[in-house]
Amino acid sequence: MEAASVSVRAPEKRQRKPRSGAISMRARLAVASRVFAALIGGYLLTALTSICLAQFLPLARAEAVVLAMTLSFLVYLPAVLWCFACGTAWRAWLGLLLPSAVLAAIYAGARWLL
Amino acid sequence: MLLATLLCYIGFTALCLSMNRHYEDLTGRPFSAVRGQALRFSGWAALLVSLWIALVSQSLGQALVQWFAALMSSAVLLVFVMSYRPGLALSLAGIGVLLCPVAAFLQLLA
Amino acid sequence: MAWVHTWAGLTFGWLLFAIFLTGTLSYFKNEITQWAQPEITPHEVSSADGVNRAQQWLGENAPDAKRWFIRLPDERSPELGVSWSPAKGGFEEQPLDSLTGTAVKARESMGGEFFYRFHFQLQMPYPWGRWLASLAAMVMFVALISGIITHKKIFKEFFTFRPRKGQRTWLDGHNAVAVLVLPFHLMITYSSLVIFMTMIMPLSILTTYGKNTQGFFDDLFPAFKTAPASPDRAPLASIAPMLDVAADKWPGSRVGLITVNNPGSANASVTLTRHGADHIPHEPGTALVFDGVSGELKNESNMGAASLMLAGGLYGLHMGHFAAPLLRWLYFLAGIGGTAMIGTGLVIWLGKRRLKHAKAGVLPFELRLVEMLNVASMSGLMLAVVSFFWANRLLPVSFTGRSDWEVRAFFCVWGVALLHAFARVFFRDGRSAWREQLTVAASLYCLLPVLDMATAGGYLLASLKQGNLTLAALDLTALATGVFLAWGAFRFRGQGKTVIASKLAPAVQEAR
Repeated sequence: MEAASVSVRAPEKRQRKPRSGAISMRARLAVASRVFAALIGGYLLTALTSICLAQFLPLARAEAVVLAMTLSFLVYLPAVLWCFACGTAWRAWLGLLLPSAVLAAIYAGARWLL
Repeated sequence: MLLATLLCYIGFTALCLSMNRHYEDLTGRPFSAVRGQALRFSGWAALLVSLWIALVSQSLGQALVQWFAALMSSAVLLVFVMSYRPGLALSLAGIGVLLCPVAAFLQLLA
Repeated sequence: MAWVHTWAGLTFGWLLFAIFLTGTLSYFKNEITQWAQPEITPHEVSSADGVNRAQQWLGENAPDAKRWFIRLPDERSPELGVSWSPAKGGFEEQPLDSLTGTAVKARESMGGEFFYRFHFQLQMPYPWGRWLASLAAMVMFVALISGIITHKKIFKEFFTFRPRKGQRTWLDGHNAVAVLVLPFHLMITYSSLVIFMTMIMPLSILTTYGKNTQGFFDDLFPAFKTAPASPDRAPLASIAPMLDVAADKWPGSRVGLITVNNPGSANASVTLTRHGADHIPHEPGTALVFDGVSGELKNESNMGAASLMLAGGLYGLHMGHFAAPLLRWLYFLAGIGGTAMIGTGLVIWLGKRRLKHAKAGVLPFELRLVEMLNVASMSGLMLAVVSFFWANRLLPVSFTGRSDWEVRAFFCVWGVALLHAFARVFFRDGRSAWREQLTVAASLYCLLPVLDMATAGGYLLASLKQGNLTLAALDLTALATGVFLAWGAFRFRGQGKTVIASKLAPAVQEAR
């Protein structure tokens, strides 16, 4: 198990290091960003997944909705893990918002076409 | 469920013994790869047979719930007994093996 | 990934410990209620007699209600439970004596229901407590999976537990209760999300049903769709014969909840659902609907669709209504295991970082804060729980608001424990905080059976004579808990030693 320090890799050049041991403001913001990405972006992606599942599952309406909601948390989990496993905080957001946009587009397309 | 539970405990004991470090701690004898393989096979076999026994004796839902309960209970029992009284852990497995035919008989009667 | 596990575990660990502990107690909530209201004695009453008495009482005392609810006594709950939705709104309940059909004369107490409601509502106003509990559940799920991913030697160390090795033992213990009971932990955590999914993930309902969200619930539970009361009045048919029809339709299963919709009006209906103890999935959609005036079976719905059985199955597994005594104890022990998993995690989090500051001799503020919260959320909560039981036995048997005072005792003691933890951790040391709280808790738990015999001994003996072991079992469990806490307090005796190990063992060890 790791120590208490945050490990966030940033591709850009590191700024001047503050007092040894202290965590820079930049690092703190990056972590906070990842947390928000997990919380908000993760919820968005999960909700859109459940919406699409409810729309496209070949089941009776109520059954599709129930199954969609039941399975949705299986999406929230990797979404959260992704936010902390990926390289940068930006990638955390991107990795959630991009698929969300795709799902939203698919759903919108289905609603307009059908 | 008694038979299934006994087999879970026996299976886990076998799987535990199939590991180098535990074999030597529990038996005091040197480990051998062949023995390890045999133990691993019998361990998994015992667990699968216990699942099958649970499934044939009751409805799917009840069987799975009770089997997982037996699985978790026997694992916890083994690990904690083993850590304080390794000999006892092995003896329990031995007793379990002896009780299996009795449990099987009782199950067939029911 | 380890970072996620340790920080998610820390930030939500204190709350999750409380949720898990009170949730674990909830598996015996009916038994706790029996102990808390020992005046209610079980009687052998046929279901027909029981429902007749309930119907009579409701007809006399709640004739204008919109809905009546009747729960017959069973092996875990001796009272005849009636409740209703008054015309003016809200919800009221009154347990009845199953033999006389009159209101029970028992001390007012929430009993086990207090712990049950706390564990998913957290004593916060609706719906905030549920949202926070759901958030905690999601964090728990993340902590579980990240823990599995982080535990690289999960198979190699599956059977490993090395006692008497300080921090290593704590970690082995944490891993053992986590991995060996993992199926339970995963089931409990995921199912808790499913239970609240219509609240926390509702968008798919809105996108498929639009504004008509009630349509979603009507599709799922057609038996519970009821029209508003018709202005014409008509006497309600006897419910007892309906139970016979149910016994016929559901062989091997009793009736669980009897709901009377619009009692006394011409379009009254009676809905019966199956008793939770007789099947695993939570199936409110499987119901029989009877015409309330003629008594005839109008409708029979069966919730059999696979997706509904998946969700219902998870719900039912979480609740454990179906569990017979042995399995129920295993549920309880597994819950204790989960609670211990969280508790050991919190201790390890602090223990690792404390080692780094061992040389300095002084803990930084943040770590003291964590220590204070560890003490308050674990031994403090144990104190609060036992105080609820002490309050139940010490408070006078009848005064209004008695039930609220039992709850207040719980929170006051918890608050005092927090203050004590603060005082000790910041002005002396964490060891004394643990030692003192565990000692007091151990004493209160061990003395609970004595208190019970002194204040309610008559009920205890009467129950034993009847062959009902519930009250005694609770007292004995309290005693066992007290012994365990006493052992814990004993481990914290003295000043403690921080040993900087020799060259042979470079890790800094702390004797406990």
